[in-house]
Parts: sequence; structure tokens; C-alpha cells
Amino acid sequence: MKKEKTKLSRRDFFSAGTALAGGVAITSVLAGYDGLLFAAVTPNAKGIWYGIGIDINKCIGCGKCANACKLENNVPQAPFYFRSWVEQYTIKNDGSIVVESPNGGIDGFKQSVPDKDIFKSFFVPKMCNHCAKSPCTQVCPVGATFETEEGIVLVDEKYCIGCRYCVQACPYGCRYIHPDKGTVDKCTLCFHRLKKGLKPACFEICPTKARIFGDLNDPGSEINYFLKNHNCMVIKPNLNTGSKLFYNALNPEVR
Amino acid sequence: MPQHIKRLIIAFSLFLALFLVLRQVLRPESFGELGHFRAKAIPENAMRPMHYTVTDSCTKCHGGIRSEKDKGFHKNLKCEVCHGPGLKHATYAGQFKNGALPDSLKLYKPGERKDCIICHQLNAARIKIQFDTINTTMIHQIDPVKHNPGDPDTKEAFKCIDCHSPHQP
Ligand code: HEC
Ligand code: HEC
Ligand code: HEC
Ligand code: HEC
Repeated sequence: MKKEKTKLSRRDFFSAGTALAGGVAITSVLAGYDGLLFAAVTPNAKGIWYGIGIDINKCIGCGKCANACKLENNVPQAPFYFRSWVEQYTIKNDGSIVVESPNGGIDGFKQSVPDKDIFKSFFVPKMCNHCAKSPCTQVCPVGATFETEEGIVLVDEKYCIGCRYCVQACPYGCRYIHPDKGTVDKCTLCFHRLKKGLKPACFEICPTKARIFGDLNDPGSEINYFLKNHNCMVIKPNLNTGSKLFYNALNPEVR
Repeated sequence: MPQHIKRLIIAFSLFLALFLVLRQVLRPESFGELGHFRAKAIPENAMRPMHYTVTDSCTKCHGGIRSEKDKGFHKNLKCEVCHGPGLKHATYAGQFKNGALPDSLKLYKPGERKDCIICHQLNAARIKIQFDTINTTMIHQIDPVKHNPGDPDTKEAFKCIDCHSPHQP
């Protein structure tokens, strides 16, 4: 092969190289920080981009959302399959924390710690965070779980091989293996209801309006009103999952 | 071209052809149209059956109860939060005359104490003070053991709905 003579001078080569390296360094540093502006991230700049809000101050822990979720989505009634559930956190006066979720809260909560020992106590409803950079979709070896354009993480039941890798990957514990189907199952934000213009079952049923959802791209939506008026936080922001489930009054003890 | 390179090229193109054929056969329909997944899975997810409807659809036939409820403390409660999923009922109940409703279409009537206690039982996690008038919901709570458990003479247990109307408590 004939060696081609380069037209670049040594000086040009170095300045171009440094500019390139610097640009790469800066973008990679900045890219890591957009997780801190969690509420402002809108990877889908046009169209619908769903977000969820939960107001912990309003939750009365009736567990009706967990119940409605199971009935709406044919989730097995056995107490270890949940798409959506409620936990009661009790911080005791001595600093220790008790977390309970008897049957996901469906049968109601019985206060197990006497009043005099309680520093504070609150309910935390949990469900899929519909992360924008979801760890669960990234690990799927066959492409059976994915994010839609609207920012909803769905599962392709026909294509799932039941390898359980995504169950492990979800930092929020929001996936389970359906015992009859042998495939993974998770919250779809009631995709079948959304497409008919209805609210997801848990949002429809909540008696205190503690659950809010809507389009993050629409400035007038309920969820944007909620985010503007409350100081919201996601669970485990350090994992930079791009979670779109924003809690008002979230205690840092919640894992 | 040296002999070994020729053989390698043949081997590689055979492998490539095999890969392309296998990929064509094994790749499911509509895979990759929108991303690394089956595009058809989206409509499949959207086709799942519903069980819950919305409270407004009950109003058509039970308008009286609705307007009664909207005047009372339970105005924010949806019908289905107490009565359970009602899409089937709301779709088919209209065909039946009074009293002829088949059991399969009947909705749960939550008349027992446990049904009310699920929301109203005393619990430290239920906020009791209204911090600001707009945003915090206060729920009135009772101790089910102390709050009118039963007739003091006959020891017959009371139901909550003996004294409180569920639709206008
Ligand atoms: C198409 C009209 C219609 C709609 C819509 C409808 N219902 Fe009914 N509902 C009926 C009829 C008819 C009965 C039977 C009345 C009877 O037997 O006296 C009934 C009875 C009931 C009963 C009593 C059942 C029993 O065991 O006696 C409940 C509770 C009830 N409806 C709740 C609801 C709720 C909640 C909704 C909204 C999801 C709803 N209904 C929507 C027509 C309707
Ligand atoms: C707090 C929970 C609760 C809510 C919310 C509620 N109901 Fe009921 N409903 C009950 C209970 C409890 C009964 C049974 C009353 C009884 O047995 O006397 C009942 C009975 C009924 C009946 C049967 C009436 C009868 O005389 O047998 C109908 C119809 C009904 N509800 C419709 C509705 C509709 C429509 C709504 C929404 C507007 C609604 N309910 C909301 C608790 C509720
Ligand atoms: C899904 C949760 C839920 C269920 C189930 C429920 N309630 Fe309520 N109830 C509420 C909410 C929310 C309020 C309004 C907030 C408040 O005033 O406490 C309320 C208010 C009340 C009040 C008025 C309290 C006051 O003086 O301000 C009474 C009484 C009451 N409910 C009785 C009942 C009875 C009886 C039942 C059983 C048929 C029942 N509730 C079932 C959620 C529920
Ligand atoms: C014997 C009739 C009777 C029965 C049974 C009864 N209540 Fe009451 N309830 C009352 C009366 C009267 C009041 C109002 C006076 C008061 O606050 O004690 C009341 C008040 C309440 C309040 C409002 C308390 C507040 O702080 O303002 C709630 C909530 C309530 N009841 C729920 C229930 C529930 C849930 C049940 C079933 C476990 C039930 N009640 C059974 C008669 C009854």
C-alpha cells in the first residue's frame, strides 16, 4: 500500500485533537448531571411524556389503589405479587425504622408500634417509576421490555423468556414473574385505559387525590401544577434512573 | 491473493449468509420498527380488558345516590372504591328490571365494619392535623374497639351503616 502524506500540520493536529477531547469530556460530565434536574428532563420533547406524582401527606393508607390494580390487571391475589402496593414507614423515638406492608396494604394497616414510641409515621404508595433511563429495559437480552414514546415502560409478554434479569435490575422492586404465564409482569400505567382516555385504575380510585398523573410536556397539566406547587423528590435519585414518579414530602429514609 | 485469505473470505461469507438467513427466520414480525422491541407489543398491551369504569358512568342509572354522595363527606370517593370494579355491571345491568339482577353482575355491598375501618381506623400515619387548608386531606378516625362496637345490653354487634349512611355519612 502507498503511504498517503497527511496535510495536517502538527500544530493543527494538536489543536483539533484537544478541542475534540475537551468537547467529549464536557458533554460526558454534563450528561451525568441532567439527572439532578429530574423534573425538567423531557427526553421526548414533543408529544405526550407521562409523569406521576404521589402526595405522601394525603395518603391515608387505605390500600384501595393496590386492590384496584390487582383487580384491573388480573394480578394474582397471593400476597407476594404486586404491581402497586403501599408501605407504612414508622420511625421510632430511638431512631430505628419499621417498614410494614401487610398484603401490600390491601387489607388495611394495623398500627403495630404503640403511639408513645413513634417519632413519626407515614404511608408510601409504591409502583413502577417509569424511568426514562430504566435499568430494567437495558438489561433485557431479547428486547421484550421497552419504553414507549410516551415514556411508559411496557413488557412484551409474547416475547419475554422469563429470564428474571430485569426483576433483579429494577432498583425499586416493581417487577415480578407471573406464576401462570411464566413471564415478567409489571405496572403498565394501565396502558389499556390510557389509550381509551381513562385514568389508570389506581389514580381513578384514590379517595384523597393523593395520586396525580399527566403529561409533563403540557404546561397546564395536573402533574405540572403538582410539581410547581410541591417540592418533590424521586426515590434513589443517586441511581440516575430518570425516574418519573415524583413524591411530595418524601422522607430520605424511604428506600 | 494468498490461498489462506481466499479460504477465510469464503468461510466468512458463508457465516454471514447463514447469519442473515437465521436472522430473517428468527426475528419476529415488526421487531425493530420503533426500537429494539416488537412494535406490535404496544397495541397488544393496549388491548387488555378493563374492569374498572369511571364514577360518571354510574350516574346514568344511580343519579340519586350520586347527588346524595356529592353533598356529604364522601364526595371525593368514587363509587368503585367501595363497590369494586363495575364496568361489567355498568354495561349490562340496564337490561334487568328491579331485583332481577343476576349474581354475576351484582357488585359488592361493603356493609361490614371492616370495610369502613380500612380507611377510618385510628393510625399514627394518618395525618390528624390540617396543616394548610388546601392541600392536606384529613381523615376522621375512630377506634373500632371503642366506637359503638355493639348494643351495650344485647351485645349484638353494630354495623357502621346502622348509624351512618355510606353515601352520606
Ligand atoms: C345501565 C344502568 C346502570 C349503571 C350504569 C350502573 N348500574 Fe348499578 N344497578 C343497575 C340496576 C338495574 C341494578 C339492580 C337494581 C335492583 O336490583 O334493585 C343495580 C344495582 C346496583 C347495586 C346493588 C346491587 C345489589 O346487590 O343489590 C350497586 C351496589 C350498584 N348497582 C352500583 C353501581 C355502580 C358502582 C355503578 C358504576 C360503576 C353502577 N351501579 C352503574 C343499573 C346500573
Ligand atoms: C363509602 C363507600 C361507598 C361509596 C363511596 C359508595 N357506596 Fe354505594 N353502598 C355502600 C354500602 C355500604 C352499601 C350497602 C347499603 C346497605 O346494605 O344498606 C351501598 C349500597 C349501594 C346500592 C344499593 C342500594 C340499596 O338500597 O341496596 C347502590 C345502587 C349503590 N350503593 C350505588 C352507589 C353509587 C352509584 C355510588 C357512587 C356515586 C356509591 N354507591 C358509592 C357503600 C358505598
Ligand atoms: C376509601 C376510603 C373510605 C371508606 C372505605 C370509607 N370512608 Fe368514610 N370518609 C373517607 C374520606 C376520605 C372522608 C372525608 C374526610 C373526612 O371528613 O374524614 C370520609 C368521611 C367520613 C365521615 C365523616 C367524618 C366527619 O365527621 O367529618 C364518616 C362519618 C364516615 N366517613 C363514615 C364511613 C363509613 C360508615 C364507612 C363504611 C360504609 C366509610 N366511611 C367508608 C374515606 C372512606
Ligand atoms: C351506634 C351508632 C354508630 C355506629 C354503629 C357507628 N358510629 Fe360512627 N358515629 C356515630 C355518632 C353519633 C358520631 C358523631 C359523634 C362522635 O363524634 O362520636 C359518629 C362519628 C363518626 C366519625 C367521625 C368522628 C370524628 O372524629 O368526627 C367517624 C369517622 C365514624 N363515626 C365512623 C364510624 C365507623 C367506621 C363505624 C363502624 C366501625 C361507625 N362509625 C359506627 C354513631 C355510630
